[in-house]
Formats: sequence, structure tokens, C-alpha cells
Amino acid sequence: MGRAARPRDPPSLPLMIKPALSLLLCGLVFLAGCGRAPEAARDAGGGGKRLTVALLPKSKGNAYFISCRAGAEKAARALGVELLFDGPTDTDPAKQNEIIENWITLGVDVIAAACENREGISTALRKAQARGIKVITYDADALPDARAFFVNQATPEGIGHTLMDEAARLTNAEGEFAVILSTLTASNMQEWLKHIRARLAEKYPKMKLVAVRPCDDQKDKAQAEATTLMSAHPNLRLLMNICSPAVPGAAEAVKQAGKAGQVKVIGLGLPNENRRYVKDGVTDSVILWKTEDLGALTVEAAVALARGALQPGATTFRTAAGASYEVKGDQILLGQPFIFNRANIDQFNF
Amino acid sequence: MKAWPRELSVGLALAALLAALAAFAPGFFAPQPLLSLAAREAPVLLVACGAAMVIVCRQIDISSGSQFAVVSVVAGLLAAEGWPPAAVATAALALGTALGALNGFLVAGLGLPSIVVTLATMVTWREGLRWWRQGAFVNLPDGLQWLGLGQTAGQWTLLATALALLTLLALAARHLAAGRHLYAVGSDAEAARLAGIRPGAVTFGAFTAAGALTALAALMNVIQSPQVDPKSGTGLELKAIAAVVVGGVAIAGGRGRLAGVLLGLLLLATVGPALTHLRIEAHWEKAIQGAIILLAVAAEGARRRPA
Amino acid sequence: MSPSPTVPRPALRHETVLLAVVVLEWLCFHALGPRFGTLENSFDLLRHSAEIGLLALAMTPVILTGGIDLSVGSLLGLCAVLFGKLWRDAGLDPAAAAGCTLVLGALAGGLNATLIAGLRLPPLIVTLGTYSLFRGLAEAITRGADTFTNFPSAFLFLGQERWLGLPTQAWLFAAVAIAVWLLVHRTTFGRACRAQGFAPEGARYAGLPAGRQLAAVYVLSGTIAALAAVIYTARLGQARADAGTGYELLAITAVVLGGTSIFGGRGSVHGTLLGVAALAILNNGLVHARQPREVAGLLTGALLLLALAAGTGPKLWAARRARATPPPSP
Repeated sequence: MGRAARPRDPPSLPLMIKPALSLLLCGLVFLAGCGRAPEAARDAGGGGKRLTVALLPKSKGNAYFISCRAGAEKAARALGVELLFDGPTDTDPAKQNEIIENWITLGVDVIAAACENREGISTALRKAQARGIKVITYDADALPDARAFFVNQATPEGIGHTLMDEAARLTNAEGEFAVILSTLTASNMQEWLKHIRARLAEKYPKMKLVAVRPCDDQKDKAQAEATTLMSAHPNLRLLMNICSPAVPGAAEAVKQAGKAGQVKVIGLGLPNENRRYVKDGVTDSVILWKTEDLGALTVEAAVALARGALQPGATTFRTAAGASYEVKGDQILLGQPFIFNRANIDQFNF
Repeated sequence: MKAWPRELSVGLALAALLAALAAFAPGFFAPQPLLSLAAREAPVLLVACGAAMVIVCRQIDISSGSQFAVVSVVAGLLAAEGWPPAAVATAALALGTALGALNGFLVAGLGLPSIVVTLATMVTWREGLRWWRQGAFVNLPDGLQWLGLGQTAGQWTLLATALALLTLLALAARHLAAGRHLYAVGSDAEAARLAGIRPGAVTFGAFTAAGALTALAALMNVIQSPQVDPKSGTGLELKAIAAVVVGGVAIAGGRGRLAGVLLGLLLLATVGPALTHLRIEAHWEKAIQGAIILLAVAAEGARRRPA
Repeated sequence: MSPSPTVPRPALRHETVLLAVVVLEWLCFHALGPRFGTLENSFDLLRHSAEIGLLALAMTPVILTGGIDLSVGSLLGLCAVLFGKLWRDAGLDPAAAAGCTLVLGALAGGLNATLIAGLRLPPLIVTLGTYSLFRGLAEAITRGADTFTNFPSAFLFLGQERWLGLPTQAWLFAAVAIAVWLLVHRTTFGRACRAQGFAPEGARYAGLPAGRQLAAVYVLSGTIAALAAVIYTARLGQARADAGTGYELLAITAVVLGGTSIFGGRGSVHGTLLGVAALAILNNGLVHARQPREVAGLLTGALLLLALAAGTGPKLWAARRARATPPPSP
């Protein structure tokens, strides 16, 4: 910034301008808040109040959670509850806690959280439970004592094993592979990586994990990382991408390097972002669950919990829409992850 | 002794890094991956040129990453709507220029400090884009990638365009009146004004040009892949500013060369891939990058100290 | 023409305008969110703004000298990790670990100070380097993955409980705020900082020990960042290498919103506190008004520009008028 030329101070100030501008400023703040005023008023109304479910994604602006939200909104409409969807716009781990604490004060009825960091968020979720707010988790669990149920789309173990087994299948269980993840500090990434490494050590002695690189959740950076990985490790057989923007990024890098088929690409991602590469045969398989169903099931479970229809000890959970899900202990199981490949990817649009 | 001081230390650091790579990881110099990497850094070079102009003018622009994302997404959406590439490019450049001009107007016209203005526009564009698009990728039509040139030719074209622009800008900075005005205003706005230069107009011009360069960079990035990620460009402003200041452009304005910026960017862009090639684990990367920035600038500071 | 700072009438001070903004924000959100005005929410506000508030307090003297410290967010992350390491792996009890962390934070600030005051390097570049270096060290120490948790409840008291009716960290925050206010507004040190920011050459000719002052400001910033790291760890009950990501920009936003000139020389600690309050209320209130978080970002940008325009616009206008009418004397 340096010390740029400072505008010289005039000897006097016109008196009226500052207050006028500050009024304008306040007006703006006021207007921004006014958009949804009727809802807030209704909330204050008390009697006959609609149930409010607050759905917390790990971060905003992420295609995965947009898809979850779409399912959640459908379910909320069908059940006649109000859905709040909000989450952090940056990666600082404290932000999720702040939103939850705000929701506690706001007095929502159920909080459904996808936890960015297990221990940290549990502090806030326990506080919510202590105030009588029902808490469930989805996508990534908190500590078990901080929530009633976890809507489990796939355990970290399941994801890690599925990815590693798929990698082994594609490379005949031998050779070098590398992992691209979102950031080194994201706890779900580390959790999955731990299970990938465990499975590798246990079952595939001829395979070798040569590098783990972060892509900051950006497709462009993933592409650059994949390009470098392929030139640094000429014997690389497979790129495993465990965050969704990395899958198309790595696929584009492999395509540009002319190594389609020679370096396999797999990962966790959404069908729409990868369709082109799966069809071209660059990306071999993309693993994911039905995200809309996850969002819908989460809202269904949240509402059932709040209305007392879902009690601890249940073994099945029947949704208002009629679907039935298995409950194992305190986990509601969405079902097995899907493996999207060239044969079936056209059946899915999300 | 004073000739090219920072460029020299940055050049030496780069040479040392390349020597280490040549000794321990010659695979780094394989032509095809290197070309791909270079083509990926070409847009960053343009953003860094824009940042350099703004910094020479004694201002700063931290909104370029957000501008980059907005222009990328808008260009992508227009292309997906079926606009011909030339029209997309024109619209994108116009948008980038307008975003830059807005910064320029707020800084030069209203006299607001540039770091605050661009902090505000950075947050506004980034959050606005997130609100509008919710993070969804934009799928581009098939013919757009490499503008139909094919990959290798496309990559060379991008690289050549970026380097040609850099050369033109460097020549303009030395020999054109507008270029000299930039340095004059950055050195001493009041003296420049007394010399008949309009500092406001020059500052406005620097921001506008930076906006246009950012838009061009965004276009050059968009045509390298068939999808646009709305998060693209996150942190780009810091990368560009780091390249500029490591390359010897004085943050207090009025001094610096684009050749230094090129060296600075080459150094910073080489560190990441070099660490992968040297088999250093990723969690060391940021620390090493920070240490290199500090060493590059501290070397100069230590030498400048009176004996 | 001497750049003598004009002293506007009290009613027109930037701080007064900002106070009005804060009050109006409060009233607006009070009308919109039925639970916004509750005591509990006020405590949330205090808890959520303590760390950023501390960093903004630390940033104020830095910016007053005409410098900037981009490394505070990264240093918060590094100190959180070091604190966890000292407690869990070195076996120190939390109080001792916190003490050591403060010392380490001061040392990290000392690195900035050495490069900026000792080698006379521009603060922006130096702290851009340490921004990367400190975060990188935090990642290297934990290999990215290690998370420190299960802190004893006596330590968590600092971040999650109340003491004498207020959230515990609010007391610490208040103490630091008062100390920094006194330092900036009531000591020769503070006056020297402003002098330094206003006219570094002039300050030097006036015989002020510019180097030592500058160094002290960055060491202070490092120490306060370490304190923020301890509070942050206590509030979340966990320490990880990504703690405090992006906090430097939030702190700078609060400081410049508070009316401190980014070129140094002008500004106040109470302005910074109001800036912190304005941003915290905006972020919190929009949740109560049921608006998505992006809106908070958008409004922060608008608030910054308007608050600055409110300060500069009239001057510009006056300058124009002054230029139109010839000055009374050369």
C-alpha cells in the first residue's frame, strides 16, 4: 500500500453530508434485512408455529450440497416444515460453530449438520441439545454424544474401502497411484485417507501411494497438480480424487497429457460434472451416493425426530414419502454408495 | 551494483531451484508437461502484469481474483448460450474493463484508499457470484476449447500471447508517455500533477487496464478446459501480488520492471511443481513458499543496509 | 501547506457516524429477529467476535504506523497448533502452555519486526511471506492431519463459560482493548506511532526511535494473535492447522471500517471496536433476519465503501469548492 499521496485536508467540512450518507447506509442495512420480515414475524407469533429445520452444509457454493439442498427442500415442502439452509462461505473451522450458536438463539427446532470438524462442532451441538433442540448429523458425523442420529450415506471406512478396491480393480492391484484431496486440514479428507491407507496396507501390497496433493477445492488447481504428478511419477497408474472438483480437473489433465487409459481416474464426484470424461473413457468410475436422497432423508429424519416418530432403538425408519431405511444403532443408513461408470451414468442427472 | 538488484536475487533463486531439479528430478524438464504447466500460468502472468501496473502507480488491487471468477463464469454462460467466441470475448473484455473502471473510479474519482475499495469489491463480487451461481460448474460447448486450434497449438498460442503482451507492456512502460506517467504518478503524485500529468486519470487508467488484463486472463483460462469452476481465481490476487513484489516492483510505487515480474512469477510457479518432483510432502509447501519469498526480499534488504 | 489534521465537530466524527450505524443495525435486527436482542444473543456476539476483535486491536497500531500485518490469521493457526503441541505432547498444563504460546507468538511477531524494522523491508511483502510461512509451519507440524482436542474443562471455561456474568473471554478482550486504547491514545508511544505513520521522515528527524517503535508494534501484534489463538482453541475445544483462515482480512476490514487510515497516522482504537461491532452485528443479525451468509459478505463490501465515502466525500466536495474559489492567501 505504501504511503500514497494523502488528500490534503480541507479546513472545513460541509456539515450535512456525513449524516446524510450514514442515513443512506443504515437504510441499506435496513432494506437488506426487510426482505423476509413477514417470516420472522410469524416465528414470533408462537401458537401454531411451523417446525423449523436448520440444515448446515460443510460449506456453501459447493455442488454437492446444492444437490443435497434440492432434495431437502422437496422433503420440507412435502412435510410442511420450514427449512433454513446456511453454511460457512470460507474454510475457517469456527464458522460452523457460530452459525449453530446463532440458530440456538434463533430457536430452531431441529439442527441437521454436516460436520467439517468433528470435535470442534460437537461443542456447539451439545449446547444445542442442552437447550432442547434436536440434533442429527448427515454426510459427516460429529461425536456420538453430540447428536441423536447420524444419517449415514456411507461410513468413512466404506468410502475408503470402496475407493481403494475400485483402484485395485482398475490397476490389477499393482503399481503407483496418487491422491488429490481438497485441503490437507479437512478432517473428512484425512479420515478417508486413513482408511484408504489402511486398506492399502492390508490388501494390496503391490500398490504404492506415491503422493498426496491438495487442490484447495479448485478444479484448475487440481488440473495443475495432476499434470505435475504425472510428469513427476512417470509410472503413475491411477489418480484417486477424493474431493469433487478434483475429478474433472484430474481427468482434463490426463486427457491433455494424452494418457487416457494409461493413467486411470477415479474419485468422489457428481455425475454431471464428470459425464463428459466418463463417456470419453478418461474417467473410469465416479463414486457417490444419491445426494438428493441424502438431503431428503435428512429432513425426513429431522422432522420425525422432532415429532417423536423416530425414537432411539428403532430398527427401521419409514419416511412420509413411503420409503423405508434401515437403522443400525444410532445411524440411519442411506444405502450403498453408487459407482457411476460409462454404462450407467446417463441414468443420473445431478 | 544497483543494476537489477531484486531481479538478480530472484534469478539466482530460480537458477538454484532449476539446478536442483536438473540434478535430482530431470523429469521436470520433459517438454509436454512443462508446456502444459506454462500454459496454465500464462493467465496468471497477465493478472500479475495488471497488478504490477497498479502497484507501480502506488495503489493495490486485491479484487483481481474475484474479477477473474466473475468474468470466467459470465463468459462461460454466454458461450453456453451459443454466443460465437468473438462475441463472448468482446463481452468478457468489456465486463472486465468495466469492473476495473469501477475500482478506478472509486479510487481516483472519489479518492478512497485502493486497498479498501478493492477489499470491498473483492468480497462483493465473490459473495455475489456465490449467491447467484451457488457454486455450480458451467459446461462449455464443445468447439470452444483451444478455440479449435488443437491442444499443442493452443497452448503455444496462449503462451505466445501472454509473452507478447508482457513485452508490449514492458516497452510501453519504458517508451510511451502513458508508461512514464504511471511511474511519475507512483513516485510522487503531487510532483506529477505539477508537471502537467493528471494523477487521477493515470490511476483510473491503471485500474481499468488491470481489469481488462484480468478479463483476458480469465478468457485464456476458460478456453483451457471444457468447464468453468466458479471458484477459479480464488487466491489469484495474492499469487499475482506476490509475483510482482518478489519480482522487485516497489510496493511504495514508482519503481519496478515487468521483466522482474516475469522472473518472480517463474520462481513462485516453479516452487509447487518442483516440490512434487523432489518428492517433498505437500504439508511443507506453504512454509517453503513463504521462506522463499522472505529470503528473496531479505537478501536485498540485507545488502541495502549501510555497512 | 501543513497537513494539520482537522478536528471536525464531535457530531461529525467518523466514530460517531459509525456508532449511529451500529445502533441502527441493532434496532433493525431487533425489529426483524425476535430473539436478536436477547442477552443470550449478546453473549454469542461477544464470543464470536473476541478473536477477530483481538486481531483488529493488534492491527490498529500496526496500521497507524503506516504498516500492515497480513500474517495474523496464519499466526493464530500456528499458535493454536503450538499450544496444542505444548499441552498434549510436552505435557504442560494449559496455563503454562498458554504462557509459552504467548512467548512464541511474540517471537513470531519478532520475525516480522526484524525484517520490517531491522532490514527496512516493506511490511506488505514481509507479512505476505510470513502469512504463507506461519500457516505452512502449522501444517508441517501437524502434517495437516493432527487435531488437538479433549482439553480439560478448566481450560474450556475460558472459551465457553461465563465468569461474573459475562463470557470469560469478554473480560480478556476488554482488558486488552483498554490496554491498547491507553497505549495508543495516552502514551508517547502511541503518539510516536501516529507520527511515524503520518510522516516517517519527520518522525525520524524529530528524534523518535522509529525502528524500536515499529518493532514493538509487530511484536505486540504477534503476542495478541497468540492470545487470540488460545481463546479460539478454548471456544472450539479443538486446535488444528486451519484455525483462523482468512481472519487477517476480517481484522483489516474492521480496522479500516473503524476509520483508521490505511496510510497510517490517523485512526482510533474505539473506532476499531465500533468497526468490529458493526461487522459482528451484521453477521449475526442477518442469521436472525434469515438471510443467507453471502448477503453478509455483500453488505460488508457496501458498508466499507459507504463508510469510507462518508468520510472522504465531504472532503472531496470541500476541496472542489475550495479550488473553485481562490484561496485567501498563498
